[in-house]
Amino acid sequence: MKPRLSAVVLLLLSWGACALHAAPDAGEAAVRRTLARAILAEGAEQQSLLGEVSESGSKLAHDVLAAWTRDGVYLYHPTASSSVPVLLEDQLDAQGKARAVRIDDGHIVTDARGGELRFDPNTLDTADTDMRLRSTIQQALDALTLADPDPDARRAAVVKLGNSQKLKYIAILEARRPREPVADVRKAIDESIALLELGETDPQVKIQAIHRLTQLKSMGSLDRLKAMADNPATQPLVAQAAAAALLELQRHIERVNFFGTIFRGASLGSVLLVVALGLAITFGLMGIINMAHGEMIAVGAYTCYVVQNLFGSGFRFAITLPFSFFGRQVGFGLNLPGLNAGGWFYQSYFLFAIPLSFVAGALAGLALERTVIRFLYRRPLESLLATWGVSLFMQQCFRMVFGANNVQVDSPSWLLGHFSIDDVSFGYNRVFVIGFAIVIVLGTWLLLTRTPLGLLIRSVMQNRDMAACMGVRTDRVNMFTFAFGSGLAGLAGAFLSQIGNVGPSLGQNYIVDSFMVVVVGGVGSIVGTVCASLGIGTVDQVLQQLLESPVVGKITVLVAIIFFLQWKPGGLFTTKSRSLD
Amino acid sequence: MPGSSKKLEAWITVLAAFVAIVVLPVLNGLVPAGSALHVSDFAINLYGKYLSYAILAISVDILWGYTGLLSLTQALFFSLGGYMMGMHLMRMIGDLGQYHKPIPDFLVFLGWDYLPPFWRPFSSFPFALLMSFLLPGGLALVFGYLGFRSRIRGVYFSILTQALTYAASLLFFRNSLLMGGNNGFTDFKFLLGFDLRRASTQRGLYIATAVVLLLVYLGCRWLSRTKFGLVQQAIRDGENRVLFSGYAAAHYKLFMFVLAAVIAAIGGILYVPQVGGINPSEMATDKSLEAVVWVAVGGRGTLIGPIVGAIGVNALKSWATEAFPDLWLIILGTLFILVVLFLPGGVVSIPSRLAPVWRRWRGRTPGPEGGGKSDPAKAGAAAAPQPVTDPP
Repeated sequence: MKPRLSAVVLLLLSWGACALHAAPDAGEAAVRRTLARAILAEGAEQQSLLGEVSESGSKLAHDVLAAWTRDGVYLYHPTASSSVPVLLEDQLDAQGKARAVRIDDGHIVTDARGGELRFDPNTLDTADTDMRLRSTIQQALDALTLADPDPDARRAAVVKLGNSQKLKYIAILEARRPREPVADVRKAIDESIALLELGETDPQVKIQAIHRLTQLKSMGSLDRLKAMADNPATQPLVAQAAAAALLELQRHIERVNFFGTIFRGASLGSVLLVVALGLAITFGLMGIINMAHGEMIAVGAYTCYVVQNLFGSGFRFAITLPFSFFGRQVGFGLNLPGLNAGGWFYQSYFLFAIPLSFVAGALAGLALERTVIRFLYRRPLESLLATWGVSLFMQQCFRMVFGANNVQVDSPSWLLGHFSIDDVSFGYNRVFVIGFAIVIVLGTWLLLTRTPLGLLIRSVMQNRDMAACMGVRTDRVNMFTFAFGSGLAGLAGAFLSQIGNVGPSLGQNYIVDSFMVVVVGGVGSIVGTVCASLGIGTVDQVLQQLLESPVVGKITVLVAIIFFLQWKPGGLFTTKSRSLD
Repeated sequence: MPGSSKKLEAWITVLAAFVAIVVLPVLNGLVPAGSALHVSDFAINLYGKYLSYAILAISVDILWGYTGLLSLTQALFFSLGGYMMGMHLMRMIGDLGQYHKPIPDFLVFLGWDYLPPFWRPFSSFPFALLMSFLLPGGLALVFGYLGFRSRIRGVYFSILTQALTYAASLLFFRNSLLMGGNNGFTDFKFLLGFDLRRASTQRGLYIATAVVLLLVYLGCRWLSRTKFGLVQQAIRDGENRVLFSGYAAAHYKLFMFVLAAVIAAIGGILYVPQVGGINPSEMATDKSLEAVVWVAVGGRGTLIGPIVGAIGVNALKSWATEAFPDLWLIILGTLFILVVLFLPGGVVSIPSRLAPVWRRWRGRTPGPEGGGKSDPAKAGAAAAPQPVTDPP
């Protein structure tokens, strides 16, 4: 089993290496040759060569042309009659000279014996430009950014042109539109063309542009349309169309904001849910107020950090205690070598980190239960105090091992970015959190209701003494339940590491909220926890939107919860019981 | 035996009060600075801070130790009292601030050129003092009424009070509340015409704090022995039985909650001029929990315990934060875990825990006639391995 596994790992590693060292394509050599010819050519030939370059979409062409407009392209004469266009490197040596790179093949300029030549920028001829050439180059540059291989860069360039209010770009954009492969960018091009056409003089064209903007639900045109509708100099028909479009757009924006808020609320609710679910187990089912729950979350988040470093350059720390023992400084440290993985394999670290953070949280919970909690099952208020002591202890340990500042946990590339449906953007990480919350809740529910262990857990939580009389080993069940709850906290930490900062006080930011969720939901009820966390998450986001301040929104939520408990003191879903106390 | 221990407690109280109220200020004010017996101005100031914390600890204890309510909002009441007094002290700075304007510096910084209306009455000391009691007391009344009416008790009460404290600290961190935001109030100059930067003023404040602490202690001691106080403790031990005996437990709890809020506020009023500032981190939930630690370490359910705990833990903190700045939280956390696990009665319960051992040791040793020959160390060593099965 083992050799096969390592073979797979090697295979994965070599894939990653291949992806990193992609060979330069043959197209680049052609672009270089065309560029060099364009610089040396004149008149109509130069124009057509530049046109050819502008279609390539090459980054290199962009850089060279940009250098050309700044007089940064030089001519080197190997013989009296021939010239070679070169770029000088930025790094100047002591004599103020630099190496030259040939534009036509990308090699360093050498003398006959192969020694590198160095040039003073002030003594070399520059490739001259005049007004007309510069404007052609500029056009080529604009077209080049529109042909950039990265769709996001293309979209940004299109939006920039659309906002420039210069009519000459309409032609460039229209030329690009049929060749644009990505629908999103095509839409941006349409929008930009319509935006530019607002600047035309013909009112008919303007009105049509306004109609098209309305159809495209262009939020970027809002300011322009507002200015047009308010400007008394606008023709009445145009102003009318603009006002109607404005109304339509505002309705659209409200809709987008509404669904955006719901989505953000759901994702915040999912985070709360994942964070509070562990608490619902330890507090709701076991009656233990674990103030160190937040630190269990931090354990999970730091596990992600450590795993990430193990996939990268390794993880190490060293602590020196501030006192000496028999004249020697006391300290301890750890030095774990890293895999130095790259590319695809490195990006998959998070998949390994998720189960490991569960395990780390569960182990920490196990240790806590064995050393502290098991003495306190009959004294819930005191469990609050002792676990607060544990929380302080652990926070300081985090500070000593990982430093007092936040650590950097990179999101894997497949969690970055977002997709949009009708202008409502859905971040992949948020969608991931929502999906995972569903999985975790289902898993917990199945464990509690469909497994023998779940049956034992529920019996011990309902009546510890009776369960013990029936032969249930309550001590062991307690241990597993607490470890499971803490493991869920560790999982929550893995998710928080993807959407926020990871620092020693990470857990503190969530502890009050998650207690609120459990109390509002009804202690001991998983359904209640789900409803409460989604409800609180959404209400929080809606209030933030309405009150335009996260802090005031949060305070309002807390006060609202206090009043809610007046109405339903036992929370949303109360466990019916005839017992007192 | 109980009679003699009561007498002993009374003597210790009188002695401690005498040392705190008379001896320390005399050593500070009258003994020259070079002398070994001199108590520095810094130390007096520090003790004053400890004693105002002790008042806060008593307020935690009359709720937790005597009524069974673990309130995590006492630091909020403490800071509210402090903030109200701080507003008066800010007004007393006058135009001596950085900007030399007749309004507090932070308001100038926020772009105000006149005093916000709710600040105006705080120029009067009696009003500020009144508000220092009314605001925390009123908040406790409203919150307590809502909470006790819907029978929120036990850990739920703790969690809700924690949420209240959290919400309030978020509120006070905001600049738009016009209460100084992050930095709170600082740079005080005068109180009732006395210069706060002078040693004699600080000494006076220290004596005032010690006297108030003594009065609070005596008052709570008296209350705990009245019939009212006995009902109080009955609620702690079995709320339902009290309820079914016909007592309106909610009213008793509400009264205690408001009283504790006012006591905590008194601590805050005395704390602010001695420390020279107040900011929202004083009302964070951590501070409330820390106050509970003092009580737990000192001994809950006694009135000496909170005082011992507040002074002891804060003295330890002052020492440890200087000697082991990195390890302080670990020390505090460990101390707390150990006390909760192994010493539920706190430090003051140590004598009564050791009493059986002591008695057994006395019983083993020969009476006074042969006492001359016995070696105490040897006798102690002989007593230690003795089995604990002996009935006392």
